Amino acid sequence: MGAPFDFSFVFSFFPKLASTLGITLLIVAGSLVVGMIVGFLIALPRLYRIPALRTFSQVYVSFFRGTPILIQLFLFYYGLPEILKLIGIDMSKAPVLVFVILTYGLHTGAFMSEMIRASVMAVDRGQLEAAYAVGMTGRQAFTRIVLPQALAIAVPVFSNLVIALLKDTSLAFTLGVMEMTGKAQTLGSVTQHFIESYIALALIYLVVSFTLEKVLKAAEVRLLRHELPDTPARTGFRIQKKGSYRRVVAGIGTEKGGAEL
Amino acid sequence: MKIDVTFIWTAFVHLLSAIPTTLLITAVSVTAGFIIGLIGAVVRIYKVPVLSQIATAYVTFIRGTPMLTHLLLIYFGLPVIVDAVSAALGLGFKSSSIPMIGFAFISFSITAGAYMSEVIRSGLLAVNRGQLEAAYSIGMTTPQALRRIVLPQALAVSLPNLSNSVIGMLHGSTLAFTVSVVDINAKAQIVASTNWKFFEAYLAAAAIFWGLTLLIERLTALLEKRINLYNRGGVA
Repeated sequence: MGAPFDFSFVFSFFPKLASTLGITLLIVAGSLVVGMIVGFLIALPRLYRIPALRTFSQVYVSFFRGTPILIQLFLFYYGLPEILKLIGIDMSKAPVLVFVILTYGLHTGAFMSEMIRASVMAVDRGQLEAAYAVGMTGRQAFTRIVLPQALAIAVPVFSNLVIALLKDTSLAFTLGVMEMTGKAQTLGSVTQHFIESYIALALIYLVVSFTLEKVLKAAEVRLLRHELPDTPARTGFRIQKKGSYRRVVAGIGTEKGGAEL
Repeated sequence: MKIDVTFIWTAFVHLLSAIPTTLLITAVSVTAGFIIGLIGAVVRIYKVPVLSQIATAYVTFIRGTPMLTHLLLIYFGLPVIVDAVSAALGLGFKSSSIPMIGFAFISFSITAGAYMSEVIRSGLLAVNRGQLEAAYSIGMTTPQALRRIVLPQALAVSLPNLSNSVIGMLHGSTLAFTVSVVDINAKAQIVASTNWKFFEAYLAAAAIFWGLTLLIERLTALLEKRINLYNRGGVA
């Protein structure tokens, strides 16, 4: 299978793969934007307990967390044009990248909505009441008091989401998008040096996710500077019924999976 | 092209035959991953020299790269290694005799191992140190204390995360189509392309995965209730 292993190919593949890093990051950034908007829209009905919409949100989140992203990719790639055709929109000319970004966006949106919901609910209600007590308006209380705290709670989860998204984009090649994984496969079959090309691919992913993690970690530290450092008290083995921020963060399913209805 | 509702059911019935493959891949990778993860977690907590660094590097590498690259690396890399070793030792073993699903098993186990190692490690760290000390004070050895006292509590704590890992591996098993294993996803592709009804076939596949995921969640919830019996508050 393929040519004999030659490590120098790994280095020569780096620049070639890095040239498609842009597409990968474009998918990540695009779906984050879509996901953020979708996530907010999906989280709101559940936060404010709007009757029918709330059920829709639950089903939406459950579906996107309960099915593999690969199936979702195919589902939207083949299904969306047909559904839109029914209402007279022709999508057959739209580039594949649109479908990919849309699918990843909707997928991430489900996870984002859970993140937003959990972090807003994690902010102590007393904080809001205290803000009202000192005479803030509802909007001021939200932007000055609730939002900064909710953001700080959300950052670790967000960081995991971004990295999971980055790794998931490796599946976009199945629809024929020339992102990094697709490029690596092409390079592999052209030169017959598959292993070298996949090693280079893995290393690039590693560097990118490592950088993302470090950057978001810095953001977390910055946002959490008002919190007291974790005390040794958190080494208890009992499952905390009511806990600190970190407990809540740990309680949010940050990994993939989880479709609770 | 119209959406053919009856075909969704036809596809659904076709896909049922592929469920065992998907579940088998999931079960094997989760079981092997759990063992790898347990070893990795213990090694890292006890800071065993060399081994703990290896475990850290392994976890970092696997968690920082997509599951697909692990599968591709194993699929292309393992035969080379196996053939080289077998030639050097003069064994008659050929890499071509490894079944395709074997690559999926190995690669997904490695992936699951890294994720589970983190889950188990955080579970172990959540167990109070006093528990271990109490076990020592009544004369247990370290393996006894770990097995009888610490692990049961750690697993109870990490059960929700473990269930997420299982679901993650269930969803990840869809990648097996890249090494031509016919799981639900691959079967959906086959059914879709022979009938040219892609949307319907994938709808059926999505329904199956959704059902399986919900089932796993329900089972975990039951298990969690059972396993946390010792830990309930109150007086009753």
